[in-house]
Amino acid sequence: MIQVQNLGFAFAETPIFTDLNFQVNAGEILTIIGPNGCGKSTLLRLLRGHLKSASGTIRWNGTPLSRLSSRELARLVAVVPQTTHIDFPYTVRELVTMGRYPHRHGLLGFHRPEDNRAVNHALGLADVIDLAERRATELSGGELQRVLLARALAQDTGTLFLDEATSHLDIDHRLELTELLLRLNREQGKTVVQISHDLDLAATISRRLLLLSAHGEMIALGPPDQVMTTANLQRLFHVDLRIDTNPYTGTPHITPLLNTLAGDLRHLSIHLLCGGGSGKALLRKLSLARAQLTVGPLNQGDSDHSLAVALDIPVITEAPFHPYSDKVLAQARQTAGQADIIVVAASCWGAGNLACLDLAVQEQQTGKPVYLIDPQPACDYTNGRAWEKITRLQTYGALSVRHEDQLIEHIKQRS
Amino acid sequence: MVKPSPSISRRVSQLALLLSLPVALYLSLSLGSFSLTPGELLSQLLAGPGSSTQQTILWQIRLPRALLAGLVGASLSLAGTTFQATLRNPLADPYLLGVSGGAALGAVAALTGGVTTTWLVPLAAFGGAIGSLLAVFLIARAHSCAPHTLILSGVMIGSLAGALLLFLLWRAPVEAARQAIFWMAGNLSLADPTASQWGWPWVGCGLVLLWLLAPRLDVMTQGEETAANLGIDVGRTRLLLFTLAGALTAGAVAMAGMIGFIGLVVPHICRLLWGPGHRLLLPCAALLGAALLMVADALARSLYAPAEIPVGVVTALLGAPFFLYLLRRNRGEL
Repeated sequence: MIQVQNLGFAFAETPIFTDLNFQVNAGEILTIIGPNGCGKSTLLRLLRGHLKSASGTIRWNGTPLSRLSSRELARLVAVVPQTTHIDFPYTVRELVTMGRYPHRHGLLGFHRPEDNRAVNHALGLADVIDLAERRATELSGGELQRVLLARALAQDTGTLFLDEATSHLDIDHRLELTELLLRLNREQGKTVVQISHDLDLAATISRRLLLLSAHGEMIALGPPDQVMTTANLQRLFHVDLRIDTNPYTGTPHITPLLNTLAGDLRHLSIHLLCGGGSGKALLRKLSLARAQLTVGPLNQGDSDHSLAVALDIPVITEAPFHPYSDKVLAQARQTAGQADIIVVAASCWGAGNLACLDLAVQEQQTGKPVYLIDPQPACDYTNGRAWEKITRLQTYGALSVRHEDQLIEHIKQRS
Repeated sequence: MVKPSPSISRRVSQLALLLSLPVALYLSLSLGSFSLTPGELLSQLLAGPGSSTQQTILWQIRLPRALLAGLVGASLSLAGTTFQATLRNPLADPYLLGVSGGAALGAVAALTGGVTTTWLVPLAAFGGAIGSLLAVFLIARAHSCAPHTLILSGVMIGSLAGALLLFLLWRAPVEAARQAIFWMAGNLSLADPTASQWGWPWVGCGLVLLWLLAPRLDVMTQGEETAANLGIDVGRTRLLLFTLAGALTAGAVAMAGMIGFIGLVVPHICRLLWGPGHRLLLPCAALLGAALLMVADALARSLYAPAEIPVGVVTALLGAPFFLYLLRRNRGEL
């Protein structure tokens, strides 16, 4: 049993978790779900003791994590990492035998018969007996993943942590591994804590799900049928989806709804002001909806610039790391002048891109609709000059939307 | 890392390597400014130490020197193997933690300071090496000895020692400076042959301790987090391994100056032949390192006899092309 109380953690200055409380019960399968970058792996590493929490306590069976030695911890929990490459050409058997390290006895650390039994058993369970004498450097990603699972099983612990351990596997081995986890859980009472992106599979096998938001808050913790709701998942992933019950398993089943906008916006021309990745989602979505897009000014090498070029969208380009020149700004003004709508998606404001706001103000004066995506005063690095312009835009009717989908809804209603 | 070669050629090369030590010993004893035929060699060996010229050369000059070369080669290979496994870096070599700079500084300070006692120069080198090792650890301790901090502080301490060294050389009289350069290029002729008296227990202890830690070395090759997952106290283990490897390097440098390439190349050859498991790899690396340095020293003595080339020149001339061959054969992967 792992108890987490008031857990706080920050990377450098960025807080990841502020006050996390939950507990992992002995003998359950708990799956942590959340969008990329929300701290799922960080949470697992905190529980394993690789990272030190800034505040709060983590207890394993009542003992604080800090009082457990690395060897004691390695006898409590084994971890299957997300690895696709191994540096040294060990044989599979040698790698799996490393799982016996926390159980070694004596100074010489030679293996005893029960170590060999445990290794063979683990090789069998993970279906890698045939690979036993092969070199790990010759294996495919999926094979290696199963070998690392075998090593974790050889460790013979009560708890198993899996960090997206099935993501490299073919569907047959993914199902096999899932069945194996279920069997270990039912027959040996193994506790499993895993991170997974396969929501359906997670809902099928987990006793409970832990939903983490993009900001590391626990949105929900409970049985899949209570936690896996349309509202929760939409809040997590910002996608349209429907949830019904899988007729075979009785567990929640998710159907993502693909973007149904295609074709809707093809008569609309939109000019986008963005930079530094702030326009990525919008570029993709509007391009899928076949809107006539133009972007710029952007510096060459900016991630938005690269994406626009890749999507074949006309971009007004400035040389890398240069401030926007008058010539480029004039070009941008001309292009923006031909658009029906101006969208300001830039998330941060500095001396470099302040001119984009002037451009938006000018276009607004010609009576063109201007949209702002989630403007934040905290992201103004111009001593309020940018925010002043944004406020001005809003006063004269520019609409602020929270995220890209809301913007598309608005544009759709408009046309 | 490397795909091992097919098993038959592997067996052959394994056998060849086991035979390499006697062959190297034979070459080292028979080659030199005064050549010994196999028959002479055998009869003098059987006759035991004595007062004839041949007996003196064999028992008092060549044999101690061959053994010294063996000891130095073995320590450098052991240290190189340990560093490469712990840092997961194929380019790691024994001099990584600034040991060479400190040792050279100590030795050159002694040489240019007008020290005449033979055993004082190795002692000064040893002191310099241990001193720089301690400095590196103290600096890196602030970051709990993370590998990159260790390497960076090693490089910095190394360049600091290098600057002081150049200053000393600039001030030194010509003869002392020449001797110092000879020492820095790696040389077994300046070494005190009695060094092997303390060299044996030093290297022996190093080998046994590392060999006992072999399972830990294996686990450490899996990366820090995985090693911790498998129950290793990573910080303490790394400190222990680096101290052992650093001490072995310091001993080697004190005995024979800075001999390059053995510590870099030998671990790679041995991993190719015997795989990466350290229970086998460590003794094999010690064996091959000893044999290689014996041969290199024999060549250094005999190529321009009666003059001697610094043995470091020979190891680099042999080692670099061989390393490039390995790299090519394995399509750029080591």
